[in-house]
Amino acid sequence: MDAAQFLTIFISAVFIYNVILSRFLGLCSFIAISKETRPALAMSLSVMFVTTMSSIITWLIYRFLLIPFNLTYLRTISFILVIATFVQFVEMVLRKISPPMYRFFGIYLPLITVNCAVLGVAVLNVDMFFVGSKAIAGSFYYSVFQGICVGLGYTLAMLLMSGIRERLDLCNVPKAVKEFPLAFIIASIMSLSFLGFNGFRF
Amino acid sequence: MSNKLIVSTSPHLHKKESVSKIMWLVVVSLIPAGVAGVFIFGLRALWVILLGVISALITEAALELFTKRKVTLLDGSAVLTGLLLAYNLPPNVPFWLPIVGSFFAIAIGKQVFGGLGQNIFNPALVGRVFLMASWPKYMTSFTRALNYDAITSATPLALLKEGRVLENISYLDLFLGKRGGCIGEVCILALFLGALFLLFKGYISWHIPVTYVFTTGIMTYIFGQKGLFSGDWLFHILSGGLILGAFFMATDYVTSPLTRKGQFIFAVGCGLLTAIIRLWGGYPEGVSYAILMMNGATPIIDRFTKSRIYGTK
Amino acid sequence: MKRYLQEFLKGIIKENPTFVLALGLCPTLAVSVTVINGIGMGLAATFVLLGSNVIISLIKNIIPDRIRIPCFIVVIATFVTINELVMKAYSPVLDRALGIYVPLIVVNCIVLGRAEAYAQKQSVLNSLFDGLGMGVGFTLALILISAIREFLGAGTILGHNLIKGFEPVFVLGMPSGALLLIGLLLGFFNVLKNRRA
Repeated sequence: MDAAQFLTIFISAVFIYNVILSRFLGLCSFIAISKETRPALAMSLSVMFVTTMSSIITWLIYRFLLIPFNLTYLRTISFILVIATFVQFVEMVLRKISPPMYRFFGIYLPLITVNCAVLGVAVLNVDMFFVGSKAIAGSFYYSVFQGICVGLGYTLAMLLMSGIRERLDLCNVPKAVKEFPLAFIIASIMSLSFLGFNGFRF
Repeated sequence: MSNKLIVSTSPHLHKKESVSKIMWLVVVSLIPAGVAGVFIFGLRALWVILLGVISALITEAALELFTKRKVTLLDGSAVLTGLLLAYNLPPNVPFWLPIVGSFFAIAIGKQVFGGLGQNIFNPALVGRVFLMASWPKYMTSFTRALNYDAITSATPLALLKEGRVLENISYLDLFLGKRGGCIGEVCILALFLGALFLLFKGYISWHIPVTYVFTTGIMTYIFGQKGLFSGDWLFHILSGGLILGAFFMATDYVTSPLTRKGQFIFAVGCGLLTAIIRLWGGYPEGVSYAILMMNGATPIIDRFTKSRIYGTK
Repeated sequence: MKRYLQEFLKGIIKENPTFVLALGLCPTLAVSVTVINGIGMGLAATFVLLGSNVIISLIKNIIPDRIRIPCFIVVIATFVTINELVMKAYSPVLDRALGIYVPLIVVNCIVLGRAEAYAQKQSVLNSLFDGLGMGVGFTLALILISAIREFLGAGTILGHNLIKGFEPVFVLGMPSGALLLIGLLLGFFNVLKNRRA
């Protein structure tokens, strides 16, 4: 387990293979919710929380349940059920302890279940930090850290995009590209600019 | 431009000059660099410049006619974009490259956002990065300076990235432009002439460029060599597209923050990113990417650094 | 019979999941680098869509409303797992090429979206044709996008070089190019829509 690997995970997840701009995970929510900064920030923080927690839980399930019982083919089903349950659980807890916060998040919370980024990072962790049926050294810490970094990458893309779209709201863009087409073109330019981090070596 | 209500933070300074006049003056201030580029790399460079500018003009006119908007060729911004794009290209690119690049820069970097003043990203850089991603082999093949037979050679930064020892290149060489590189970036002397003109006339302010260059200098000084505090910062400042980028592209009003504080953050960000890419990234030069990334961050920087309107929360 | 044909056809043009409903864009952009990958993903998604639409329509009266989403997910995940295992066994090259997007079909908005909006309300045969139509529409959209990206971005179609001396636009094979293309295509379809209005 070495520091360079953590740095690589961070640079990869946030910049080079940014979860939204490069892997396209969470694209639907990105296009839909990045119109304003406050909802974008709320969504990003919730996503980061869920990706981190689900990285932990899915890793544990894979390592201590699926591998020992030779059930790795049930990976997809078990992971998505875990995620759906966890999000439901968070919803219930939030509704109990802080109704205003629950109302603030509104429909965003259940939407996170189908956010490709959450299941995506769980699958990525397994693909990257397990070889065959064995966990590589430091696998758990790498997985959790990757969960956090994927959340950070998501937040970065959302924040930048929401700032841009709020600014463009004040301009008169051509009618044909209003809303979605322009959002994609902006994402494309953002993705181009992130290419600067390619080949990063520390 | 005259009938629009301009929303901006205080102080509300009204210059006598219009946006159009400023654009043309920037174009004029860039001419020395172009002349130097043609002198250093030969007539081919002139063709690249002309094709870049003409393609930009045609694209802008065509798109504005097609979308039934006012044709704004005379405001100088298309010329400026075409010029800056050409300055960011190697002198020996195939002729279609500046044409396609300018087209993309104007169409996607500018018109799609609604035209002048509404673009988020610097159009010339959008074009350049697009070309770099699409045809990397043409964008990374450079010629030797003052050798009109167009013998290929590597740029100083590329040599540095490969870890090769740089021979026979002095700071004066870098300053005058006797090195491989893009058409408009190599002759620092010519660029300074234009930049000083703009600075003295007050069309650009020194804050962004100086902060940007300073930050990159500090970073490369600290981390430039193995062992800290021994980097060759002067080499880094005089190499690549840093001076061209810092004085002529990072200073663009439209794509940089409104407040001084925001501009400071913007410039530091550009400086850091440029240094990080140069030192540890895969590319030898990072100015284009750094500025574009900070262009993207400008709206959010503005949002968090805007001064409060008197009387509101 | 005509009714079923209508259900099938609407998924292809009028309610095309990619260009009209803007669903399932994550895998669309990710896998559309080559036409083969596009077809592979399209067929896989169609299989899952068909299976899940039919089963959900069959059991729609038994599922309690409060836990319907998790139930849908279990059904969809089952078909996705079947698809995963079959792909790994019979076309491992395609499976590797599609990577993490194979299991991600389970959160593909199209599949869950059709289950929620259609299969839980309509008859089995209607759901079957709807699933088929949506799947084919999705596949056709994938083929269109990946054809453009492969031809302009790499100069090949289905792996074969077509024009000599053509300098491919590499960026189209990258994520940035995919985003640009979908933005331009959506804009283009918007123009068509505005003209018609």
